[in-house]
Amino acid sequence: MSIDFAINSPVFLRYLLIVGGLLLFAGVVLGSLRLAGRNVASPLRTYRGWLIMIPIVLGTLFLGREATILGVTLLAAVGFKEFARATGLYEDWWMTGIVYLAIFALGAVSLVPDPRLGSPGWYGFFMASPVFVIALILLVPIVRNRSRGELQKVALAILGFIYFGWMFMHLGFLANTGNAYGYLLFLVFAVEINDVAAFTFGRMFGKRKLRERISPNKTLAGSVGAIAISLVLPWLLWFSFPHFSPALLVLTGLIVGVGGQLGDLVISYIKRDIGIKDMGATIHGHGGILDRVDSMIFVAPIFFHMVRWFNGAG
Amino acid sequence: MDTWKYHPSPGIDTPVSESLRGFPREPGMLAYAIRSVAALLLRAWMRTYHRLHIEGRENLPAKGSYVLVCNHTSHLDTLCLLSSVPLRSIHHCFPAAAADYFFSSVPRSAVSAILINALPFDRKAKGARSLALCSALLKTEGNILILFPEGTRTTTGAMGRFRSGIGRLAAGSDLDILPCHLEGGLRAWPKGKLLPRPRRLHLRIGQAKNYRHLDRSPESVKAVCADLEERVARLGGGAE
Repeated sequence: MSIDFAINSPVFLRYLLIVGGLLLFAGVVLGSLRLAGRNVASPLRTYRGWLIMIPIVLGTLFLGREATILGVTLLAAVGFKEFARATGLYEDWWMTGIVYLAIFALGAVSLVPDPRLGSPGWYGFFMASPVFVIALILLVPIVRNRSRGELQKVALAILGFIYFGWMFMHLGFLANTGNAYGYLLFLVFAVEINDVAAFTFGRMFGKRKLRERISPNKTLAGSVGAIAISLVLPWLLWFSFPHFSPALLVLTGLIVGVGGQLGDLVISYIKRDIGIKDMGATIHGHGGILDRVDSMIFVAPIFFHMVRWFNGAG
Repeated sequence: MDTWKYHPSPGIDTPVSESLRGFPREPGMLAYAIRSVAALLLRAWMRTYHRLHIEGRENLPAKGSYVLVCNHTSHLDTLCLLSSVPLRSIHHCFPAAAADYFFSSVPRSAVSAILINALPFDRKAKGARSLALCSALLKTEGNILILFPEGTRTTTGAMGRFRSGIGRLAAGSDLDILPCHLEGGLRAWPKGKLLPRPRRLHLRIGQAKNYRHLDRSPESVKAVCADLEERVARLGGGAE
């Protein structure tokens, strides 16, 4: 994964064309709706958010493995910060600081080569990291000689690291695989399409609520529609992973379709329990970083281990 | 089992561009780290480039909150006063800065909020609200406020009249006010020049004064302003 590779990679070029075409299409649709006198202020804000995010994401991937891992690490750190601010863990600088450090350490572990095998990314340490980080977090109350309210902080810090740090950062570790561009571009693209599809199908046909006490806007129709789209996408984008068997294409579709929506629902009940609407206000028209990447958190690690199981390290 | 109690940050729905202008500011690890490094670099720069000499540092109270009141000749005034307080107080030391100048754009707000830790002071419309912000701030033990009662930088070197804000803040409240005088600021960095020149700076910190025995009448406010103006001028020995 590097600039040279990206320039000569048909996969990168094809995604550039697909995403560019879709953006242009959405722009034209929104523009004509506006000319027709419809109120498109809210989708337009979201669209502007995309116009900023997509070049950043594609640019980072274009720059190669190091930039991608660094980008995912920063996203994980900002995502954890949003979680910490939302729960109040942010007031505890020891816990927040340790999780920050662990996230950056995990980024470094994804970058260095495996000391035994020499392959990019220290896989063994990456996968074993929760053992050390959880131990470290559990030690904090002992070092500070405190007990009151510490269980809640420890639990939140562990969840913060495991979920927003470790699980999400599998996405960065994918950059170490041989087919990094295909996997990463497909995942980012498919997960976002899955989100959009759930929203669109829900708006068009949605009647029955999916999980009304968690997220009142999600409907069964939206969910089924999104899974259907996600099952079709791997076939349309087979060029991203030409070595996949049809069975793997189905599995990939299921992971994206089901996992994406689960990630969304997890953030939804976290927000609902805390009693907030958005995780932050980082991206104009989208809410916080976590409101945007929530679906990826489930998809990235499961897809990663599927690839590893069926294709070895490749 | 009881449900957990969460404490979401109050500014969770505020975009970064706006939260930079907001006050009081939420403490952030990154901002503290950057500010600490900036404070160290600032002190080094002040000692070497400007040969800053600080007189009367022993007058700074060891605890409690207090106000530093200084004449205003250049941006260096704020930087000198920031270099005079103990390093551990740097995150609790707030220079009152004109909101219409120091918080006019996002990059400027970022520098003012993160590096300087400035308190956005509205010197035009909402002066009373800004003053209320200041007195609320000073109720917290250990907070330091830096105030330039002239309200703007002098261009001639002559000290301007003190505006009533400091009087309204100090009269009738148990607050230590320390008059300060900086000499050399006008020569080192006159208003309108892009960069400071390597000129000597001399900061004198006077003894704390408390005006709690006064009432809050307009006469007392005037008396406080006149008294502080005289004290600052006397520290400067009428120079500059």
